[in-house]
Amino acid sequence: MTALLRVEGVSKLFDRKGKPSVEALRDINLSINEGEFVSIVGASGSGKSTLLRIIDGLLAPTKGEVLVDGQRVTRPGRDRAMVFQQDSLLPWKSVIENVAYGLTLAGRPWAEASAVAQRFVTMTGLAGFESHYPHQLSGGMRQRVNVARALAVDPRILLLDEPFAALDAQTREIMQSELLSIWRESRKTVLLITHQIDEAVFLSDRVIVFSARPGSVRQEVKVDLPRPRELTLKRDPRFVRLVDDIWQLIEAEVRQGLKAG
Amino acid sequence: MKGIIEFLEQETRLASFMRIVFSILCVLVIWQLVATVVTNRLLLVPPADVAVALWKETLDGSMWTNAVATVTAVVTSFIVSVIIGIAIGLGLASSRLLSLMGGPALSALNSVPIIALAPLFVAWLGLGFASKFVLVLLVAVFPVVVTTEAGLRATDKPLIEAARSFNATPWQIFTTVTFPYALPFIVSGIRVSWARALVGIVVAEFFGSFAGFGFAILSASQTFDTARVLGYVFVLGAMGLLGSVAFATLERRLAPWRQE
Repeated sequence: MTALLRVEGVSKLFDRKGKPSVEALRDINLSINEGEFVSIVGASGSGKSTLLRIIDGLLAPTKGEVLVDGQRVTRPGRDRAMVFQQDSLLPWKSVIENVAYGLTLAGRPWAEASAVAQRFVTMTGLAGFESHYPHQLSGGMRQRVNVARALAVDPRILLLDEPFAALDAQTREIMQSELLSIWRESRKTVLLITHQIDEAVFLSDRVIVFSARPGSVRQEVKVDLPRPRELTLKRDPRFVRLVDDIWQLIEAEVRQGLKAG
Repeated sequence: MKGIIEFLEQETRLASFMRIVFSILCVLVIWQLVATVVTNRLLLVPPADVAVALWKETLDGSMWTNAVATVTAVVTSFIVSVIIGIAIGLGLASSRLLSLMGGPALSALNSVPIIALAPLFVAWLGLGFASKFVLVLLVAVFPVVVTTEAGLRATDKPLIEAARSFNATPWQIFTTVTFPYALPFIVSGIRVSWARALVGIVVAEFFGSFAGFGFAILSASQTFDTARVLGYVFVLGAMGLLGSVAFATLERRLAPWRQE
């Protein structure tokens, strides 16, 4: 298999006025294959969100480079789309307009953009809510819009930045299994950032464990649980063991973070 | 009693209209009561006398003359000050340098009671439209400048980031994110501007004009015609209220998500 996304030796320093700069990422190397679902987990402060922004092209790395299909990433592009945490939807646009947003920015006429958007509205279970506004929707529905908006531009790589972090536990579970079926249907390559270990294991083919300050790859864990996966998998002993192994890896850092906090 | 309160608390158009009617009625009743105690008609006249004075003014055409003078001056300079205010606000929000250099000068100007310069403007620009125009412009422009800049700067960072992530150009970010976000802020500035414009026009007319509500108030008070004074004040109040309600409605329409 060929790697669709390659992160090569990426480091990131943030300059701060009058203070020593902060090293957010140190020498990250990753490679993700076409169609793969990969998650990055790590304690807060492990720079995982920063890495996602570098891959998306929103931030430039201090050292190293990101390659998509061999092409160096310098700015956001059509081949990648990001699903953000809560509240990145435009509050004055309806659901269908939000989903079509990326397409209208790309200059597609409204008739075409809305037709494409409608397909993803349906796929994400938002049918019937097209003319609702974000403030009229629940958190889970808003994140569906967020996912649909990213899918609508038909990217090759879907980048998800803790997409379910702001949702309650039950909604999160449902959204996870919905994300899996959307992934099966759309056959995208997915890179997900999360601090929820069980979420990462449940969704992914591989989990990359980050260590914090500076963020670096600590270990890669292969998840060879069968697909398609149902939520009941979370009670499977193999699943529980994987989650536990990963927790062991980052527990010390989480505790340290609490003290430093 | 409880039923009335519940009705008035509703967010319907009828309820908000009734709220206004009720509070105006209250003022009229209190006014009427005070006027039965204070019987010196030089100091205070009851509402009915004011209504009669207004009616007379309307019949002899002076209401129309004054309204034309005041409304044309205040509306033109109000519109111009909104346009200039938005333009300056855009400039300040888009350029750090401009904001750092122009900001202090503007806030200094804003804290000067510009109304006090009215006699000077009359001396410079003469009696009539020009001096009114400039004075109203100067008092009304600042709220729009301030809210435009604040609104454009207040835009949620995640919204801008999302737009950038979809490859939006800076111009697209402005038209699809920052400007729509700032619009309700700007309208709230416009609402304040309208109230200040009305104060500005009256003062300008006190000092330099031969027609207009301010001129009429001044001349009526010089002949101790209290009913006529209050009549014109009432008209000005109605103009202020109308603008305030209209812009508040517009603000709510533009940003329905803020109420919830």
